[in-house]
Amino acid sequence: MTRDAIKDLILEIIEDIDEDADFDTLQANQPLRDQLDLDSMDFLDIVMELRKRHKLQIPEEDYPELASLDSCVNYLEPLLKNA
Amino acid sequence: MHVPLIIIGGGLSGLAAGLRFARFLPDVLILEKHSRLGGLNSYYYRNNRLFETGLHAITNFAEPKDKKAPLNRLLRQLKIKRKELDLHEQNRSEIHFLNQESLLFSNDFTLFCNEISEKFPNSFAGFNELLNIIDEYDPFAPRDFISARTIILEKLHDQLLTDMLLCPLMYYGSSIENDMDFGQFVIMFRAIFQEGMFRPGGTIKDLLDLLTNHYQTHGGKLRTKAGVKRIIKDGKKAVAVELEDGEQIQCDFLLSTIGSDETFNLLDTPSPIKDMPRLGFVETIFELSPETKLNKNGNNTIIFFNNGTTFNYAKPTDRVDFNSGVICMPQNFQNLDVRPYKEVRTTHLANYDEWKSLSHDKALYTAAKDETAAASLPVAEKILGNFGKNIVYRDTFTPLTIERFTTKKHGAIYGNPIKIKNGDIGYTNLFLAGTDQGFLGIVGSMLSGVSIVNQHILPRI
Repeated sequence: MTRDAIKDLILEIIEDIDEDADFDTLQANQPLRDQLDLDSMDFLDIVMELRKRHKLQIPEEDYPELASLDSCVNYLEPLLKNA
Repeated sequence: MHVPLIIIGGGLSGLAAGLRFARFLPDVLILEKHSRLGGLNSYYYRNNRLFETGLHAITNFAEPKDKKAPLNRLLRQLKIKRKELDLHEQNRSEIHFLNQESLLFSNDFTLFCNEISEKFPNSFAGFNELLNIIDEYDPFAPRDFISARTIILEKLHDQLLTDMLLCPLMYYGSSIENDMDFGQFVIMFRAIFQEGMFRPGGTIKDLLDLLTNHYQTHGGKLRTKAGVKRIIKDGKKAVAVELEDGEQIQCDFLLSTIGSDETFNLLDTPSPIKDMPRLGFVETIFELSPETKLNKNGNNTIIFFNNGTTFNYAKPTDRVDFNSGVICMPQNFQNLDVRPYKEVRTTHLANYDEWKSLSHDKALYTAAKDETAAASLPVAEKILGNFGKNIVYRDTFTPLTIERFTTKKHGAIYGNPIKIKNGDIGYTNLFLAGTDQGFLGIVGSMLSGVSIVNQHILPRI
C-alpha cells in the first residue's frame, strides 16, 4: 500500500466513525484526537478497524504511533507494504 | 464449544458490550437467564398490552453536535444512527417538596437556573460556584468516597435546596443511603439537570429489538433461558461457564453484568467486597382511561417529590416509605403518538426484608401489594388531582418481583453500594460491567458495557 493509500484508509476509517468529521483543515503532523474531537474510545475504533480489514495486530504500547496522520502512515507503511 | 467472549446477562450493559465486541469479532455469546432480554429495563404483557418495567425516562439527552456527550459517544461506539432511536424530549419535570418549595427543570438548563435564582436567591451565588466545580470535575478519576451532601451544603448553605438537588439524583441512581459520592453526583447532575431526559418513540422492546438486530447482524449469538450455574476457573482465570442444564462453554474472556456478589457466587468464592445495606423499591403502574383529566402537574414528565418534613433516602423500617418518591407519566414526552391509555407510575423506597417475610404466603403478599397501591394512590393524587376512579388496570412491583426476574440481590436495582469502576474483580480475563461497575441509567449502563470491553478485552484479542 502506498503512503497515500494508507492515508486514505485512515481517513476512511475516521469518516466511518464520525460521518461529520471535517478533514478540510486537518494538519497531517498534528494529533488527530484534538483536531477531530475524537476521544480514546473512538481512537480504539481505528485500531480495531485495521485489525478487521487488514488483520493487523497493533499492540497497546504502539497506540501512540497512531497519534497523527503522518505518524499513522510512518507506522503502518512497513506493516501494509504487501497489502 | 468455545467462544472468544461470553457475556453473562442480556440487559442493556450486556447487549451494548456484545454489540461493541461483535462489530469487530462476531464470535461473542450473550447468556440471559430470563426468557426475555432487558434485565432491569424489560417488559411484560397484560390484557394484550405491553407494559414497560424500569424505563421512566432516559437521561443524558444531547444534541447531535455535542460529540463528547455520553449519548453521542455511545451511538458512535455502537454504530447506531440517532434517527433509529426516534428521540422524544421530556415536557418538563419537577422537584416537588410539599408545603415547602417546587423547582421545575427541562432539557433547557436555564429553566432550572432561573428557578433556583428566583426561589433560593441567597443560595444562587453558591449554586454557580457549585456549577464551576461540576464543570471542572473529572468523575472518572479514581478517588475514595467524597460526600456530595457535605460539598453541596457548604456551597448552598441551605438544607432544603441541598435535599431538593439530591432527591432526583438519588432516586435515579444512588445505591447509598442519604448521600452520594461526589463523582456520582457530578455524573448524575450532568445527566439529569444539564443534559436532560428523553425517551424513544416506541417501547423498551423496540430499543431492545434494535440492539439485538444490530448485534445479530454483526454475527453475535444470543441465548435466553440460559442461566449460568457456575464459572469454571483455573487460578485467577475463568476458563468456562457451566449452564444450568450442565452444558459447558469455554471462553477466552468472560464479562459478567449480573452484579459483583452475584458473580462471586458463580465463582464459588466469597466476595471480598463489603456488604452494605441495599436499597429496594416498589413501583405501581396506574393505567388510566384516555379521558382522564389531571391537574396542571399532570403535564410534567417526572415529579420527584417529598411530603415529609425532612427528605430521607434510606431503607425504610416499614415495607414502604410513602413520604417520598417518583411519579412518572410516560405519555408526557414531546410529539409522542397518542397512546390508548395514560399511565401514572409511582415509585417509593421499600424494605426487602419486610417483603421477604411475606413471601411464604401468597395471600399475604398479594394483600400487601394491594395495600401498597392503595396507599400510593392518594400520595400521587395530592400532586396530580384525583384520578382513582379512572384506573383501568393496576400492577405493583416489589423488591421480590425485581429479584425474581432480574436476580439482582434483594431486588436492589442500583446494586451494591460499592462500585468496581474499572471492572477489575481480581481475575485475568473476567471483568464486571453493568450496575455494580457504577454507570447507571440506560445510557450509563450501555456505556458501562462498551467501556469495559474497550478497556480490558478489545486491546487484548
